[in-house]
Amino acid sequence: MQINRVGIGLLTFFGVFGALFVVVPIALGADLMVTAILALLGVIWMLTAFGLALYARRQRHKAAHQDWIFQNGLKGTATIVEAGSHATVNDMPLMSLQLDLDIPGVGTRQVKRREVMPVFTADRMRPDLVLTAYFNPQDQDDFILVW
Amino acid sequence: MALSSFAAAQGLQAVPSVDAGALTPLLVESGAGRIAPAARGQLADGVSGALGQLIYTRNKKFHFAVALTEVPASTPFVPRLFCVRTGRRTRDDEYYGFEPRFSKLWTESTALNERFHISTSPYQDQNWLRQLFSPAFVDWIASKAPPGFSFELAYGSAEVARRIARECEE
Repeated sequence: MQINRVGIGLLTFFGVFGALFVVVPIALGADLMVTAILALLGVIWMLTAFGLALYARRQRHKAAHQDWIFQNGLKGTATIVEAGSHATVNDMPLMSLQLDLDIPGVGTRQVKRREVMPVFTADRMRPDLVLTAYFNPQDQDDFILVW
Repeated sequence: MALSSFAAAQGLQAVPSVDAGALTPLLVESGAGRIAPAARGQLADGVSGALGQLIYTRNKKFHFAVALTEVPASTPFVPRLFCVRTGRRTRDDEYYGFEPRFSKLWTESTALNERFHISTSPYQDQNWLRQLFSPAFVDWIASKAPPGFSFELAYGSAEVARRIARECEE
């Protein structure tokens, strides 16, 4: 899975503590009401861990697909026509880019794309900047930007 | 030697500060990318830019001697390339939990990787990196670069830094 220590920490926190909330009150023979409340909380936390695991799996597939496009795709260019950001994700700007794509042997066209980028990259996303792009040979709407 | 004396000796213009902006990860760390005190002018033949002291605080205060210049022709070949000493934490290590990484380590040189982490875009053309990291360059960075040395190239802005233990005199 595409997980680092932050991901492992999140999965462990929700998974392990969720399980403990369910098991510990039962093991200690706690009051029925307390046991039920903590068990409900534990199940919610475990469901959160499960959801995170599914998300991690999806991201792993996405990363593998992007690697495939990089290895097997058509190399072209993407010229920035417009760039802006109205939101951030983990303190990084979510950039809305309007791009002029130039795909060798296929032609040019304009598309919109949203990407989360570090601040120093987002600051450079200005009109006329030319970035390398790799296109899925079977679907030119499927591409990766090299930034 | 105080920066102003050094600047005078090298024919540079000493200035109170240079606000470089968020050009590279290290400059982003410092907030506005303020280099102060600073000097600017011709750093070498055909190379103009600025140098000075950069400070950022993250749990504790870090001081760097930095030099900044522009290499605009590098962008199409290597949009970003960071050579950071092993052990220095960078922001892109932190905000990654499940998503594909924003950067990828370049690990072709064992000697280099013992001292530095070299990172690029995950989709960087490896051919360009092999040409850039010639054996002589790798040897220099791996064995002769001073302690605390690092460099960052981001979209044509090149910044070379060396961590220093205390504030520069001015």
